[in-house]
Amino acid sequence: MMFAVAIVLLTLVGLVARRVPYVREMELPAQIAISFAAGLLLTATLMFLWSLLGIEWTRLSLGIPLLILIALGWTKGATAKGTGWIGIAFFVLLTTYGALTARETCADLLYFWGPKGAHFHQAGKIDVDFLKFPHYYLMHPDYPPLLPEIYAWGTLAARKLSFWGALGLTPLFLLATVLAFRGIAARKIGEVMAGRFAILLAAVLAYGYAIGMVAGAADPPLVFFEVIALAALTFAEDREGWIVAALGIAGAMFLKVEGLTFAVVLLAAFVVTRRKILPAILAAAPGAILLGVWIAFAKHHEFLDSYRSNNKPFHPEQVGTVLRLTVREASYNFFYFPWVASLAPLPFGRNRKHALLPLLTGLGVIAYTIYFYLHAPDPAWWIASSAERVLLTALACFVVASAAASD
Amino acid sequence: MWRLASRGAPYFEQPRTIVDHVGNGKGNGKHETRDALILLPRVAKLLPRGANVTCFRPLRGQQRYDAANYLTAVGMLPHQNVLPPFVAGLETKRKDLVEYVVAIREPFTHPAYVPIAEWPEGRVYQVPR
Repeated sequence: MMFAVAIVLLTLVGLVARRVPYVREMELPAQIAISFAAGLLLTATLMFLWSLLGIEWTRLSLGIPLLILIALGWTKGATAKGTGWIGIAFFVLLTTYGALTARETCADLLYFWGPKGAHFHQAGKIDVDFLKFPHYYLMHPDYPPLLPEIYAWGTLAARKLSFWGALGLTPLFLLATVLAFRGIAARKIGEVMAGRFAILLAAVLAYGYAIGMVAGAADPPLVFFEVIALAALTFAEDREGWIVAALGIAGAMFLKVEGLTFAVVLLAAFVVTRRKILPAILAAAPGAILLGVWIAFAKHHEFLDSYRSNNKPFHPEQVGTVLRLTVREASYNFFYFPWVASLAPLPFGRNRKHALLPLLTGLGVIAYTIYFYLHAPDPAWWIASSAERVLLTALACFVVASAAASD
Repeated sequence: MWRLASRGAPYFEQPRTIVDHVGNGKGNGKHETRDALILLPRVAKLLPRGANVTCFRPLRGQQRYDAANYLTAVGMLPHQNVLPPFVAGLETKRKDLVEYVVAIREPFTHPAYVPIAEWPEGRVYQVPR
């Protein structure tokens, strides 16, 4: 219990995001959701910085700077509550049931996210010896550290890693994703439409989480950060929107390898559709710097793996197998229902041009997912164990596209 | 809802482990790490800090590379050094054998090891030194 509570309380750290007027003017639940994202990213960055400086993670060494950030975030904001609460609550409760009755558990929590968190806490830092140990290679040594660091933070507070606590975060990530999307979208398409599409997003993601079994893994927070970035670039028009996009992009890049490719696809789609380069550079910069330092850290300590160029050979001869198996997994066990649901409102929208950015991003996500799978000589097991999870990003993109078209 | 329901009864009881309803891979049968999740918290209290240990489900009484249980043990025994299963192999010299073996469910019959604790989900073995 304490494990999950300590992680949720990082929202207080992220309240500093409300210093940005764009965030402060959103409806209150979105301010809280974006503060949660900011809290996770700021805390993970601080923990990484402490590791670089050789400062051990303790309640004191982390607590004092986090308390300063909490104090800086104390400011008043808008108080609107938003709409669509009953529908959103239904799908969040369904996910809560699924996660807390062990029906959505992702084995990756047991195999590497959890072990990394436990050992980072034990070492009081990013444990380089642990990551370099050749017999732990299957734990993906150079995967970005945000989630293990956050699990280490929860462990520091609770004195023990809690797998149940990690599962309990899954519905909270779903709720935060939907509330952040609704608040960002409401500024552009209105409170009522934003509420309706928030219910659709909750339904599609809750269904995908149940089928893909993502609880405890990095996929729910990854989709959370990605939706923030995509929604901000799609719906925001002023400069402050890019700051929120930068938060989402940095979080995604510091969380999973796919976060980098998502950022590249999103920003390329932005440049193509909006014909602006500077905002894309500004939105990419913090994440690029953070990930760059992480890659340099991994290279310096000789555990760079996934980010190496020519890491795995390309297998174009597998294209037929990859397409066939990916299309099969993409059905989500029910006639491609989430795809139909997320794209169904699109033809009825009045502003389909506005949907181009999220639409292109979603197609890009599908393309790079297939490209990744073409790097395995026998991709069947990999696709079966991951496609339903990694395609959640594309589903979320298509819901954002439908919402954007409704403007 | 039907997908969640298809992952089996009981529907309104707190499961014993976090994999009780996710089965092996796609939700059928018992998950390969379920016994380890029950066993390892007990084992953690038994083993000294810093001890070298490995964990696997034996095959015909011997070690095998069992990534699921081995990696689960890495996470659940953070105060010990969890090594890969081959360090308890028949070909390994006695001086190089890992001191403790957590054998999931099946008995481990390596002649150098003696059992020191037993539960329904598995046993702990030690090399007498």
